[in-house]
This record gives sequence, structure tokens and C-alpha cells, in this order.
Amino acid sequence: MKTDSTSNGRGRLSSEMLRGLVDEKTGTLDPRIYHDREIYELELERIFTRSWLYLCHESQLKKAGDFFSTYMAEDPVLVVRQKDGSVRAFLNQCRHRGMRICRADCGNARAFTCSYHGWGYDIAGNLASVPHEQDGYRNEIDKSKWGPLPVPRIETYNGLVFGNWDKDAPNFRDYLGDMLWYTDGYFDRTAGGTEVIGGMHRWVLQCNWKFAAEQFCSDMYHADFSHLSALIARLPEGVDPSMGQMPTIGSQFSSRNGHGTGFFTDVNTLDEFNGPVAAAWYQGPHRAEAIRRLGEPRASQISAAHMTVFPTFSFLPGIQTLRVWHPRGPGEIEVWAWALADRDAPAEVKEAVRLGVLRTFSAGGIFEQDDGENWLEIQKVLRGHMARRQKLNVAMGLGHQQTNHPRFPGKINNVYAEEAARGFYRQWAQMISGEI
Amino acid sequence: MAWKKVCRTNDVADQSGIKIKGPNPIAVFRLGDEFFATDDTCTHAKFSLSEGYIEGEEVVCALHEARFCLRTGKVLSPPAIVPLRTYPVRVEDEEVFVDVD
Repeated sequence: MKTDSTSNGRGRLSSEMLRGLVDEKTGTLDPRIYHDREIYELELERIFTRSWLYLCHESQLKKAGDFFSTYMAEDPVLVVRQKDGSVRAFLNQCRHRGMRICRADCGNARAFTCSYHGWGYDIAGNLASVPHEQDGYRNEIDKSKWGPLPVPRIETYNGLVFGNWDKDAPNFRDYLGDMLWYTDGYFDRTAGGTEVIGGMHRWVLQCNWKFAAEQFCSDMYHADFSHLSALIARLPEGVDPSMGQMPTIGSQFSSRNGHGTGFFTDVNTLDEFNGPVAAAWYQGPHRAEAIRRLGEPRASQISAAHMTVFPTFSFLPGIQTLRVWHPRGPGEIEVWAWALADRDAPAEVKEAVRLGVLRTFSAGGIFEQDDGENWLEIQKVLRGHMARRQKLNVAMGLGHQQTNHPRFPGKINNVYAEEAARGFYRQWAQMISGEI
Repeated sequence: MAWKKVCRTNDVADQSGIKIKGPNPIAVFRLGDEFFATDDTCTHAKFSLSEGYIEGEEVVCALHEARFCLRTGKVLSPPAIVPLRTYPVRVEDEEVFVDVD
């Protein structure tokens, strides 16, 4: 779908100017991509209405009528399990005065009723009932024409439910493309699949969504410095501090479609991250099954991975935090995060994962603080007139990519590289300029 | 009297209702071993009461929370003001009959 040109060819936001904000060939970025309101409005139109966006996990929609209220970028959507077992989603906007149809976060419903005038919708999103239809509307309203906008494309991938506003979008697996080999390695490890455990963590950060999404896509670089104090704090007293050092051997993958992942391959860094109870499961029955299903290197030779599916879905395998970076203007995000565990893991393992995620990557997690602090400080710096005029460097490892790695398919660079960041921003620039 | 066979007892789960389709759809509700039949369409706004929530011997419309007594059809909460029509029910050999006359 080529988007209409609200700003294309006129004013300051020409296609050429937009494409030039990212130069992946020299590894430079124009910081306007992080703070400019007009560019942000174009992101909503040209990126978020055409990309596959994470909606929820299937385990949140167990039976007919179970719903989860989420967002596709700034658009509120309701995701609902249907009586036939399928999942549907529609814009959470009443077509009468535009009120939010459902104001609950999640639950089970037989119907949804707008709280303003009482327009009623069935769980499939059809307008079913209008108060005063006879004496007010004189039976002249065609209810079939006034339902909320359906999300035309919904796909489930290993329990993860994604939606896309673009009816012509490629299917989700094709959208993952060369990333599929890696995501299968992260999400298709056991036949029982996964579930989200506990509730959801939500918090607000005053920063652009791309800082977070790109870091999870491409940035192992920050880990051993930004998180140094947390890495040291995690060590038991009396342990040699060298135990807190990060491994050094690993790879980074950059997808043609803007996704990315990176990981270490020399030691299983995070095996104990969620404590001994979780480790016994994930190194034991979980790993044995993964070896049968996936083989190596995906079953046990990839560790401490970070990943983003373009644009806003991220996961840390091993740590098990799953999240979406919902944009809220150029300088704000809402982070929605869950802990993911094997569905058939014992209850004490799920509890250990929940507590582990709570301790490390959550609103109060010791590692999360470091990341948020960096992102919102950058955003503050970008209030400066001169700061906004400085190009930023995204050139690490430029020209050192390979496509013939013995173990890892696709475009590969060293674990410390910005190959995936360049791929992420190239995808962004191509979409926002109308090139793709 | 016009007794009509509408369903089997195990078609209706306890504490729920089903819709019997027709020009004038009927809702059949089950509370334990007792069955009730009413008009399926809420008297306030057009919606199926068999989709509603059962609370005690009452059905609450899922749309606007109008509330009716299953036994008498009496309105127990606005926005409905018109009582719900109820029908006699008879159970024989695991089959549910409603007097739709």
C-alpha cells in the first residue's frame, strides 16, 4: 500500500528529505527522527498503519468473550476471542461520538456497550443495538454500516497475536522473512508453547519509541557499561568480581525487513538469571526438548539474546521479558511488558520467572532503570537547538557484515556492532519516505 | 395451549441461557434443574437476553444492564420499563417444552 502524500513533495518533509534523515551507508542519523512532531505524525500514518504490531498473547484470551484492550501505536483496539475460537480485533472507538467502547483493560464480555449513549456491540464488533432506535432514529439507522473499524489482518505466531491495518500486507511469516529462523529459535522451543504469567507492567518514559526499539534490536554494546552497577550488584558477596564480566564472543543479525537480534555464543550467560529454580527447568527439560525440536546452535548455543520485530515488539530470551513500546508523541512511550514462561512448566518455575523479570526488567527492575535513564536523558538533550543539528553515529562495524557465517543465516556482524540498527533505521526511512 | 419442543435439557448449561430462533425468538434459561422461558429480546433495546448475565433468579442484559425476574418477567432495574414476557415451561424425558401461545 502506497500511502497518500499528506506532506510529500511540499513543505519541508519531502520524500527526499525524509529518506536523507538516515544514511545507513555512512552510518549517520539525523536526530530529527527522535523529536520532530511532523515526522512523528508521518510515522503514525506510514509505519504504524502498515507494519505488523503485537496485540497480545493467546494465553490472555482463553475462552469466547475474553478480551484485551491494547493499542496499535496511538489507536486503541479491542482484541476478542470469538465463539468459533478465532481472534478478532477492532478499533475501540464508537462510531457515534467517538467514545472508547470498552474502558476495561481486560476481562470477559458478552457484549460491549459504549458508556456515553449506550450503543451496543457484539463481541465480533458488529453494532447490535442502538438505544431509542425507534423513537429517536425512527428506525432509519443502518446498523450494519456503523460498526467500529475492524483490524483487517490478524495472525497468530507461536501464541503471539499480531495485527496489521494494511489489508495488502504480506503475511506475518513473510514479514519476519529472514528473521523467522531466529524467532522460531526464541518462541518455538517446546511443543507446549508459552504463556504470559502474572499481570502486565506498564510505565511511561519521556523518550522516543525508537531508542527503546533499536536498543533491543541491535545494542549489546551498552550492556556491560550501562548495566555495570546492576551486574555487580547481582553478584553474591565474596564472589570474584570478574564473574560479573560479560562474555565477548557473539553475533548480531540484521534483517532485510528492519528486525534484528544479537547474542553471545561462547557461554550461557543468563542461565542463572532468574534463579536456580528457573535454571533447573530451562537447562533441563526445556533445553532437552529444544535440542530435539531445533537442534544447535539455536537450542543452547545462543544466549543473552536481545531482539526486536520492527517496529515495536521486543523480547529478551532467557530473561523472558516481552514488551511493546507504544508511541505517545515524539517524546513519550508507554512500555507494556509481560513475563513469558513455558505453559507446561511447573508453577514454581513460572513464579521464579515472574520474580526474575520483576527484579531485572520491569518498572522497578534494576536493569530497566539504566535503560530508561539513558533514553529520557537523550530526549532532554534534544531540546537544544544546537544538539538537534548534530548528526549521530550509528557506524559501528560498518562494512564488516558477512552473509556466509558458518552457523548463523542472514546478514551477520559481530555481537558488538550496529548492523541491525542500520537495518532498523533503513526500514524506517524507506517506509516514511514512501520508498516502500 | 401450544406446547412446543424447543431443546433438550443438556442443551442449556446451568446458570445460562440459549436462544431459540424464530420470528419471535425465545430464551430458555436453566438454574439447576429448573428451566425458564422468556422473550429473548430485551424490552429496552434490541439485544438477546440469552447473551445476558444470570444473577440469582434474574437476567441482566449484557448491553445496558436492564434486569428482569426470570420467574415473572418483572423489570427490576432500568433502563427497561416494559416487563419481559414469560412462558410456561414443562420438562419431559429430558426434553424442554414451552407454551408459546
